[in-house]
Amino acid sequence: MLDKEFNEEDVLTRAAQGDRDAFGLLYERYLDRIFNYVYYRTGNLHDAEDLTARVFQRAMNHIKNYTDRGVPFSAWLYRIAHNLVANWHRDRSRRQEIPINDVPILPSKGDHPERNLVRSQEETTLLKLIRRLPPERQNLLILKFVENMSNAEIGKIMGRSEGAVKSLYHRTLLSLRDQIGDQHISLDNE
Amino acid sequence: MNKLRTSLSEDQLSALEAHLAGTLKPVTPPMEIVQRLRNRMHFPERRVIALRLQDWQRMLLVFGGVMSGMLVMITVARAFFYLIRRHI
Repeated sequence: MLDKEFNEEDVLTRAAQGDRDAFGLLYERYLDRIFNYVYYRTGNLHDAEDLTARVFQRAMNHIKNYTDRGVPFSAWLYRIAHNLVANWHRDRSRRQEIPINDVPILPSKGDHPERNLVRSQEETTLLKLIRRLPPERQNLLILKFVENMSNAEIGKIMGRSEGAVKSLYHRTLLSLRDQIGDQHISLDNE
Repeated sequence: MNKLRTSLSEDQLSALEAHLAGTLKPVTPPMEIVQRLRNRMHFPERRVIALRLQDWQRMLLVFGGVMSGMLVMITVARAFFYLIRRHI
């Protein structure tokens, strides 16, 4: 509904002039997406909440610096999120890790409630493997599958060409396939 | 052998993508989190800021008025005492 109601360019101009209501519209529009990204990158509900808030606070403080040079606002927001998550991982590496099994399961959009209570063993194992990948590969998979973005859109966020994203995706799948080898995940055609 | 390890068959590719699509699904943030985030990001409305500003301007006007009034009263009092002293 919100998407149809506003022209992002106008709203961005107003937000850059300090109009908080305009920024509120952007916030409502991107809240779910940024939360999803941060949630999958941290696997931690509390930190996902905190980091999501910080992404928008930082965006609001620096929105005057945002200029559309072929990089959409969403890409700019994801970059802020990426930097904050990277800092979070850096800080956390000095502290203890939370096992992936402790990660709370959130309802997936369009799922039946019963489906949300338990992740299958395969999904949990695959999530563990994904979270062992280098950050940029995790980003790529999250943007591709959670955010359903094209390689070109991902390229704008990651600062890479479409071809480079495609190549990185292929290498990521190869790496996952090799890691899956020892796990109980079937790659036979289902 | 090496070629096998560095390439993915169509079947493997589609199976792996299906697994990834099943695992990495968009999630819905819990309502209480959405609410807390909204509260955390809540700023006073422009209308409220304008009202606060008007209040501040009103206070300045009252303060200025009181000071001017006192100045006038002191001047009148001084003139009054000056005139009385001249008559005495």
